[in-house]
Amino acid sequence: MTVNFWGHEFKVNVVLGCLGGFLIAVVSSMFGFGGGPFMVPLMTVGLGLPMYVVVGSSLLAIFFNTMMGTARHYQFGNFDLTFFLIMFPAAILGGFIAPQIAKRVSPLTVKRIAVVGLALLALNLLGVY
Amino acid sequence: MRKRWLGGLLYGAWITLGALYPPASMAGTTPIPAAAAPATTSSPAGPPPTIKIDKTSLDNGGTIVVSGKAPAGKPVFIEIWGDKLVRASHFDAKPDKTTGKRPYVLYMTSEMPAYYKLFVPVSDQDKLSQAKASGKKWNLDSLLKEVGAAGIYSTPGKIKIDRYQATLMGSIVGSRGQMLPAMAEQENRRRSMELVKVRFRSPDKVLGAEVKVSPDGAYRAEIKIRKGIAPGKYTVVAAVDGNTRSQAASFENHIGFPLIYLPNAGTSINLFWPFLLTLAISIFGVLMGAGGGFIMNPLFVSLWPLPHAVVAGTVMPTVLFSQGSGIYNYSKIKFISWKLGVTIGLAMVVGGFIGPKLTELITLDQFKFVFGWILLVLSGLMFWQTTPGYLAKNKKEQAILKEFKQKAEANAKAKGN
Repeated sequence: MTVNFWGHEFKVNVVLGCLGGFLIAVVSSMFGFGGGPFMVPLMTVGLGLPMYVVVGSSLLAIFFNTMMGTARHYQFGNFDLTFFLIMFPAAILGGFIAPQIAKRVSPLTVKRIAVVGLALLALNLLGVY
Repeated sequence: MRKRWLGGLLYGAWITLGALYPPASMAGTTPIPAAAAPATTSSPAGPPPTIKIDKTSLDNGGTIVVSGKAPAGKPVFIEIWGDKLVRASHFDAKPDKTTGKRPYVLYMTSEMPAYYKLFVPVSDQDKLSQAKASGKKWNLDSLLKEVGAAGIYSTPGKIKIDRYQATLMGSIVGSRGQMLPAMAEQENRRRSMELVKVRFRSPDKVLGAEVKVSPDGAYRAEIKIRKGIAPGKYTVVAAVDGNTRSQAASFENHIGFPLIYLPNAGTSINLFWPFLLTLAISIFGVLMGAGGGFIMNPLFVSLWPLPHAVVAGTVMPTVLFSQGSGIYNYSKIKFISWKLGVTIGLAMVVGGFIGPKLTELITLDQFKFVFGWILLVLSGLMFWQTTPGYLAKNKKEQAILKEFKQKAEANAKAKGN
């Protein structure tokens, strides 16, 4: 498939993109997360697309997954409205506050903290400590 | 514009709170009289025990004293359960001991009491501690037999359990499978114990050694009802065996602001904690460029007794709004390749159709285990993004991204004017 983006043409391996997207969607909807951090590497490294093509389009692809996943979880009775009403305003408020903080901290520092934090949480879940 | 929108949000929150907390005058003014329980009298064990409780109302748990008189020389058990019901499911994929075949049957109920606990004589404390020490392998059936309470376990044994024969194809197309005929009473009871374990996780949530029995048969138990359980009516029954039960006594558990009952999760929780946690994680999520779901899901199932399917199914929609507004902003400046996004998106729709079905087939431990590995991979990805080689490449990419974005914005503006 050829994608035209702002005057540049890119050849995209559709099979790899769709297969990868499918697998990421199964796992992310099963465990209830978005999947962005896996989609972006898939599309940049796997499909060889530059970042400026990926940022918007990966979000669009994930949105499909989130909508379907939400509908299916609702169908299976996994949706708790009260719990949602607690989290939803917090998530939106976070979306407003985060850009203010982002101006002051370096993304590299945040990523380094995330590496350690995620690894610790992972080891805890795996029962290592 | 934004202010009005925030005002709407606050108004919505206020309405929600109003709906969740009815005026105090409506709740719990009339102590509920002890319901006439079907006390079977004709039993070789003698007359059924009498029962008295010292309170009819609790405020988010507390201590309640249950006392009475049972036939002398008998152990006395006390069963307590709440009237709020929740869902529980268990997927049986363990090979059969005799045939070695895996059954792949999904057991599911929507009638599990949100709270159930059986109190046994204090002398059985050792056996309970042993079960607790054996970790995740504890088995309610054998534990009940050990403490001589096999006949006492009654309320959850009678819940309606649906069985589905799952198939690989069925799971792929997202069906629970064919519904099997209802189970016989004994089998229903046995399966209900597995569901009780799924619901309450730890043996000390289901069993407690609190009943002190005197030689003359008088008994007394100081029972601590834990915080964070469902509001509503709780029933207390004392029993010496399966057929000799006391009348039912009952008390009401109240919760008030800021505690909130999550009906689908069957747990009461202080609403500020999940709010603050979500806020903190979503800020951090935006900063590190990954959604908060990665951190929220495992933390919520670890910190609170929330079922993992409910957490996954509720965390997922919270990001819908931010994703939607992101897409809107990008589309305004034509910064989305619809062809690319929709093509991969269609593959992801299929995946999103299958995934939520699989959530109910796995246990909490499997959920945590797989999540552990996902997070390790994610942590590795993040580490890769902090390596010098990636940073150098990324710097160039970001510069191009910025340039293109500015071009796109300028273009959109020019057209707008």
